[in-house]
Amino acid sequence: MKTKTDFPTINERRPEGLKEDGTPYKVLVVDDSMFVTKQIGQILTSEGYEIVGIAGDGQEGLEKYKELYPNVDLVTMDITMPKMDGVTALEKIIEFDKKARVIMISALGKQDLVKKSLLLGAKNYIVKPLDRKKVLERVRMTLNQ
Amino acid sequence: MRVEYINPFVEAAFNVLKEVLDENVKRGELYLKSTSQPVLGVAAIVGLAGDVEGRVLFDMRMDTAIAIASVMNSEKLEKLDDLGKATINELANMITAQAVTKLHDLGFKFDLTPPSIITGENMEVTDQGVEALIVPIELPQGKIEINVAVRERT
Repeated sequence: MKTKTDFPTINERRPEGLKEDGTPYKVLVVDDSMFVTKQIGQILTSEGYEIVGIAGDGQEGLEKYKELYPNVDLVTMDITMPKMDGVTALEKIIEFDKKARVIMISALGKQDLVKKSLLLGAKNYIVKPLDRKKVLERVRMTLNQ
Repeated sequence: MRVEYINPFVEAAFNVLKEVLDENVKRGELYLKSTSQPVLGVAAIVGLAGDVEGRVLFDMRMDTAIAIASVMNSEKLEKLDDLGKATINELANMITAQAVTKLHDLGFKFDLTPPSIITGENMEVTDQGVEALIVPIELPQGKIEINVAVRERT
């Protein structure tokens, strides 16, 4: 028997990456490791988030943020990067947009820099190794703040 | 060389590998070498400079590196391409960061270089005037040797 109606959806939960109006949250990923950008991209897009830009260092991250603004909801920012580190880039992004939502991505052992970032206006941080649960939880918390 | 330098690296490697591979990880027996040693095919090398100086090598066979990078990327890599190298680089980064935090807590102060990935056959590593401590870590994907050659700065 053929049916003309859709199957009932058994999963009513809206993907976390979608806003109430159904459009995705837009994310800029700043990291010099191709592995990490890919990992963050996969985790976030699987929940409906849209990666609107990727930058390989702080300088490029800052430029991309200005370019994308105001169509960017969240930035993930690595701390150790060439050219311009993540803390400086964070500072400059906040200078440009006081409401910017930036999550720092840190290796263990950078507590002082994480603390400094939070004082400068970063909304949250994630310590590597990254896993799906940790990333989605921190991103959700940051967007709901 | 004092064994307290290598233990944090072994512990960190153990923890990080267990977490990223989600597999059984077994620590092999520690051994000491004072002569040149063969490098297995893929090595991530990190330099240390400060109260202690030297280098740490994460050494593995090419097929092991590809298998590990494949698991970490949740996709089968055919060769160690740029993504594969970035993955092994990141693995070395995570392990050293954890180990160094421990060593800093123990009172050793030093800086690190970013990891470099070296690949090739028939290579050897020689450290003048300092012996290397090696701890193999056994994984389902093969073996990673944590090879630490550091000394206190005089």
